Amino acid sequence: MTATPSIAREGRGGFGALLDRFPFLPAIVILIVLLVLNGLFEPNSLSFRSLTGLVRTYMALMLLAVAQTYVVYAADIDLSVGAIASLVNVTIIVLMQHLGGGGLSVVAALGVGVLVGLACGLVNGFVVAALRLQAIVATFATSIFFTGLALTILPVAGMPAPTAFWRTYGGSFFGIPFVFYCVAVLAVLLYLLARSRLATQLLAVGDGQQAAFQSGLPVTAIRIGGYALCGVFAALAAFCITGDTASGDPLVGAKMTLFSVAAVVLGGSALSGGFGTVVGSVIAALIIGLINALVFFAGTPSHWQNFVQGLAILAALMVGILVSRRGRA
Amino acid sequence: MTKLKLSGVSKAYGATMALRHGDLEIEAGEVHVLIGANGSGKSTLCKIVAGSVRPDRGTVLIDDRPVTVSGPRAAKALGIGIFYQELSLAEHRSVAENILMPDLPRKGRLFVNREALAETAGRYIALFAQVAGEDLTADTPVGRLRADQRQLVEIMKALASKAPVLIFDEPTSALDRAQVDRFFEILRGLRNEGRSIVFISHRMDEIFAIGDRVTVIRDGETIGTTTIADTSPAAVIRMMVGEQEGLAVPQDAPPASATGGGTALSVAHLSGQGFSDVSFTVARGEILGLGGLHGQGQSALLRALFGAPPAHSGAVTLAGAALRTENPRSAITSGLAYVSGDRGRDGVITGRPILENVTPVHALRNRLMLASPGRLAAGALPALKALNTKFAGLSHPISSLSGGNQQKIVIARWLIDRPDVLLLDDPTKGIDLSAKADLFALIRKLAEDGLAIILYSSEDAELLNNADRILVFNGGSVRRELAGAERTRYNLYHAAYEAA
Amino acid sequence: MSQALSFLRNPLVVALALIVALLVLGNALSPGFASGQQILRLLIVAALLGIVAAGQNLVILGGREGIDLSVGGVVSLSAIVAGNAMNGLDAGIPAAILACVATGAFFGLLNGLGVTLLRIPPLVMTLGMLGVLQGLLVVIRQGVPSGRAAPALSEFVTRPFLLGLPGIIWLWIAIGLLMAFILNRTVLGHRIYAIGSNEHAAFMAGVPVRRMRVLLFVLSGVFSAIAGFCLLGYSGSSFANVGEQYMLASIIAVVLGGTPLSGGKGGYTGTMAGAVLLVILQSILTTINIEESGRQMVFGATLLLLMLFYGRGRGLRA
Repeated sequence: MTATPSIAREGRGGFGALLDRFPFLPAIVILIVLLVLNGLFEPNSLSFRSLTGLVRTYMALMLLAVAQTYVVYAADIDLSVGAIASLVNVTIIVLMQHLGGGGLSVVAALGVGVLVGLACGLVNGFVVAALRLQAIVATFATSIFFTGLALTILPVAGMPAPTAFWRTYGGSFFGIPFVFYCVAVLAVLLYLLARSRLATQLLAVGDGQQAAFQSGLPVTAIRIGGYALCGVFAALAAFCITGDTASGDPLVGAKMTLFSVAAVVLGGSALSGGFGTVVGSVIAALIIGLINALVFFAGTPSHWQNFVQGLAILAALMVGILVSRRGRA
Repeated sequence: MTKLKLSGVSKAYGATMALRHGDLEIEAGEVHVLIGANGSGKSTLCKIVAGSVRPDRGTVLIDDRPVTVSGPRAAKALGIGIFYQELSLAEHRSVAENILMPDLPRKGRLFVNREALAETAGRYIALFAQVAGEDLTADTPVGRLRADQRQLVEIMKALASKAPVLIFDEPTSALDRAQVDRFFEILRGLRNEGRSIVFISHRMDEIFAIGDRVTVIRDGETIGTTTIADTSPAAVIRMMVGEQEGLAVPQDAPPASATGGGTALSVAHLSGQGFSDVSFTVARGEILGLGGLHGQGQSALLRALFGAPPAHSGAVTLAGAALRTENPRSAITSGLAYVSGDRGRDGVITGRPILENVTPVHALRNRLMLASPGRLAAGALPALKALNTKFAGLSHPISSLSGGNQQKIVIARWLIDRPDVLLLDDPTKGIDLSAKADLFALIRKLAEDGLAIILYSSEDAELLNNADRILVFNGGSVRRELAGAERTRYNLYHAAYEAA
Repeated sequence: MSQALSFLRNPLVVALALIVALLVLGNALSPGFASGQQILRLLIVAALLGIVAAGQNLVILGGREGIDLSVGGVVSLSAIVAGNAMNGLDAGIPAAILACVATGAFFGLLNGLGVTLLRIPPLVMTLGMLGVLQGLLVVIRQGVPSGRAAPALSEFVTRPFLLGLPGIIWLWIAIGLLMAFILNRTVLGHRIYAIGSNEHAAFMAGVPVRRMRVLLFVLSGVFSAIAGFCLLGYSGSSFANVGEQYMLASIIAVVLGGTPLSGGKGGYTGTMAGAVLLVILQSILTTINIEESGRQMVFGATLLLLMLFYGRGRGLRA
């Protein structure tokens, strides 16, 4: 009686176990394939300079994907990450402008920016977890609200960032581009968060809210914690957007929300919660960047680029989902 | 000294009374058995103590002080730990994380102390090291474990709460003998430490092996408490069944097999998921029973006949013609009907009106497009009446009915248009005795009308009382066929345990 | 809540009451807001949203996290297809209708096959499809002129046709009746609810679950295509991404109408009220004299407030 199930499980082989530990494996394979293809079409695209540019541009999406991942851990979703990023973007731009644009003003503005992100996250967590509204529609409603706030702070796009700010983001220190320091800090941060009680608890809630509740976990507080974390990472994403575009735009993040969801799925996390990694989401954000680059380098006529990008992302999503399911089924 | 005392506790879900009146007194240092039929309110009572269900009425006292268990966290703080029957594990988390999930060891304020986690969880895993199987390690995700191993992890989780009051709601249903023995050793140790243990099981031998006192619960009311030493299994069963006992045994001798009907369904060398090389025939007018221990391939066979999922190999012949069922839809159109005991999963279309729950098969078999309430009702009402179904109106949601009546609605679905073969997969699971009596009376009548019926029941009495012939399953295949005077409880048990 | 007040739990009643209240409020803020002409204009806008929401509603009712994020893309594409097919000529209308319906059905079919055969979560599948559709829009607008609405179509959408109401309102009413009929009086409707509330039980009772789900996505595509066709008549010519606004608006109309995103319960009548409610709310916000920023904030906050009336999940403690 005890023998049959274990035999059945061996048939699944080592691949399943590997995917359990590293759900982002399919994403890594796709990433490598894309890098190779990019190199074939445009050898220059693999130069250090190009890759730095790629990371610099897609750092914001990486952070937004990370932000989204923490709420998806708990089987929630946040359609307001882009709006939060926009709000933080205009907040820090306006603050830096008001405070004179010096080094201290930048630091103060960034501090406020993180707090704004945190506050937005707490609002989301409150409406979804405490008021028990449906996450998709509730965070869409808050995204409208946050966009309104952003428009209040800066009605039209265009206010420039202080030179010191974007020069730092685009610059190099000791021969290493600043963004790579950001990547290093992000890596440490993600490592620490992976060891946090909150991350484990979020995943447990995502695996089954009722079971988590019955285990005595403070489910509502944990979900709010997930949204708070999401808000903070959305704020960090806003810093990168600001460094990359060097200006304020109250609608800059809107387009990125759905990409963040796509990146989470592409990175091997399950939208149904309980399973996934932030590393996968970061890789997936790069994949989206590389797809866009590849479509360009492959010489696609300009008006076909969006279409081909869309098709490629859809195909990548399908492949990612099918491969990880085959491994785990 | 009374550690935990419940008095007059009740809970209703909508129209369904899950618990009418629960009284319970648990001493320190005892194993207190709670016993009652499925759906009698045991789990509800436990969940109220554990804080995951809010009682409508009643009081809870711990150490003679009235307390409010406002939720699982409050229960934990009050010193109550629980093993949930449906388990409370996170599938993708590791065994160690699951064991200590209620209170993950900390490093600083924010981080999980991995070393402490591995060490503490390891202690609980070690408790069962001899019986759990080698693949149950601290790092294994729970989703990769077998059913018995998951149950052990849930046990470890309850033990790790170190609570003075521990509740175990059917902790042994998937465990093997050695695992149960080890668990009981641990329980005895805890009792000797002075902890209070509530233990629920359906296995009478376990109850008498581990219990100090037993409280019987019937139809949502606690009937009484006695000391195990002063009672016997027969006496406990009498308390469980009450005066309604007569209903459960409709006939003294099972009716003789009706062989005049000719073969309705024949199965040759059928193999599939969970069963292999099964062959038998069933005649029109016959009730063929499937017996044996739970989960030996009986349900799997019935599901395969119904195409959910189809068998891998073998042949099925229905009324002389080869039958190929790819899915339930094709099985239904070929004249098969399947009633599952797991009505929550397979039967009830939650939240929809009774009418919509009775008519889907009727619509399919008659290729209906329009759903005129009048015409559908005309088809549905006789079937519902035949089963003595009690309901206020066809437009009321099915969830407004009691479990037994919900199951009758689901069964009626298959009887509006007469099928050729009726597959019953433990159809009385969790329904009350009078509903069972109604159901079996109808089943016999259907057989007399010429239906071929295959009945699997997890209750041996149901099989012995109703089946004309019994195929005893073990390890996925038929071990013995009992017909005529061979149909005795002794033969049934003997065949069931033969190879186990 | 007492029995007598239990009708207040009915989403349709709540939505209708809110509609009346908003009309009164709107008229107080800006006299003439609730005039016949104005209301008619609002209803036309609501009809466009409501037709998209019909498909959205079906997909959501079917459960299993059913949702269609690609509706906006189909609306835009269909408007362009229609514009090119008729190119300002009445004679082109039949061909345009066919082309639109075929377009919508095609993309709906792709969504449905992805969701059922490849078992990709609807949110992801339709999100990916949205990306493809947006790309396709760019391709088409580069290659060919975007086309104009035929006079008859514009008239159908904007001019009174019968009893003072334009054709599109009658079309919407007809769709409403058809949806109510399908959902309540046909086996198909029963099956939609069945797969939405307990997919496995429906499967065991012989409901062809996969085929049903594909059908729901196809219908969603077709309804979006019809809306896109009408939208062309409303705006006269198709322009970039006219449909984008419908993606989340259609979902909100469904939710405000009392169909939870978990599926299996609710219906289209509520969704129609939800669509009207949403349009009136937006219209009031444009009427009152505040900045765009304030308008958005009020809109977002009001949506949250409305959702509190219904669409709240169950507590964890039974």
